[in-house]
Amino acid sequence: MDCKKAQRLFDDLARDRLAPECAVELRQHLTDCTDCRVLQQRAARLQRLLALKRYEHPAPAYFDGFLTEFHRRLLAETQPQIAWWERALEGLDGFLSAESMQVWRYAVATTLGVTMIVGLMWTGLGQSGETANDASAPNVAANAPVIVTPQISPSASVPTLAMAPSQFSGIWRVSPAADELGLAEMPERPPAVMSTELATPQYVLDRISATPVTYDVASVHF
Amino acid sequence: MNLTGKIKPLSTSRTTSARVPRPATPVEHQIDLQLQDDETLVAHTQKGDARAFDVLIGRYKERLYATIYHMTANHEDADDLVQDTFIKAYKSIDSFRGHSSFYTWVYRIAVNRTINFLKRRKNRNQYSLDDLDSSIQTDPDLIEMMSHVTPRREVGLTELQEKLNEALQKLSEPHRAVVTMHDIQGMTHADIAKVLKCSEGTVRSRLFYARQQLQGLLSDYL
Repeated sequence: MDCKKAQRLFDDLARDRLAPECAVELRQHLTDCTDCRVLQQRAARLQRLLALKRYEHPAPAYFDGFLTEFHRRLLAETQPQIAWWERALEGLDGFLSAESMQVWRYAVATTLGVTMIVGLMWTGLGQSGETANDASAPNVAANAPVIVTPQISPSASVPTLAMAPSQFSGIWRVSPAADELGLAEMPERPPAVMSTELATPQYVLDRISATPVTYDVASVHF
Repeated sequence: MNLTGKIKPLSTSRTTSARVPRPATPVEHQIDLQLQDDETLVAHTQKGDARAFDVLIGRYKERLYATIYHMTANHEDADDLVQDTFIKAYKSIDSFRGHSSFYTWVYRIAVNRTINFLKRRKNRNQYSLDDLDSSIQTDPDLIEMMSHVTPRREVGLTELQEKLNEALQKLSEPHRAVVTMHDIQGMTHADIAKVLKCSEGTVRSRLFYARQQLQGLLSDYL
């Protein structure tokens, strides 16, 4: 038996898986060949060392819940996936319908409602502020920053979108920051512009001097 | 209860009109299943009996866990991979034709998934080692190894465990799989070749090179 063949059979010799005559031949070779004998001894020690890993075990109760976990994972994999917003709604629904939330859910709903109303009012106020800003804008250079703060006089009501731009005079004033920029000393809006805005509305038909249309049958020619 | 351990075909209850057999309770059915061989359990699973698969899980979960754990050196990863293996096996049980044993088939799934996982996890080795069984203290191989300790080799059991796992993690995945199955799990070359779908010569060759590498890495303990 040559060394290469002998080294291939070390495992089988260690586990008694060799035919008797083959085992005798291999043992004879190991007696005669020092290199193979050293290799065989080192391989056997390594196998004994690796076999110590069999003593590594998980915690005793680890396998108790194994089957339950398997079914849980299998169910999670086979059931259809739901969208994130559906999960969020379910979570909110579960949160509000919980026993401890029976009292609080009205408070939460009221708070949400009040928040929504205040938000809407705040948005409306912001838009009216922008309108007032536009009304005072013509006197200012196109790109100049204008800072306008509302100043509500005791007699004036809160500015609304229904008010004419001229009605904002006395309600809005230029802020101190704008004063620093010299914006407050800029020339006032020309009166003509103001009078145009306040003049009686003109309609197209008012300027037509032709004879009024008649619907008299006699004037109709076929 | 069926004392012979054989499950009667479903058609029996339909053909007998005078003596209708009492339907087996879940507990009795479970006991019946425990007595069946793997092929019968697979056939039951393929017909839709999930409890038959539960019995198969009970038979092989510990061995599969041990193999995957020794390859990953991480308890949590091993836990996930064993569960994944059984879920994959359950989902594709219809494709199992019985050309190999169920154990070889499920083992192949486990090893392939673990090798793929380890390739993805490359360079992210995080050990989460299981506890050592206290019976290791009486292991003759360990006692023999400890009797030869020199000042250089003085080592605690925990340190030895860590060194063994570190050395194994330095092998390539296919080499680690072969060493785990042969030297730790005690499988034969032929069984390993079936699991890995390669020749016995390839298994022996991988073992040879893996051991050479391990002998260099663990020279202090040999």
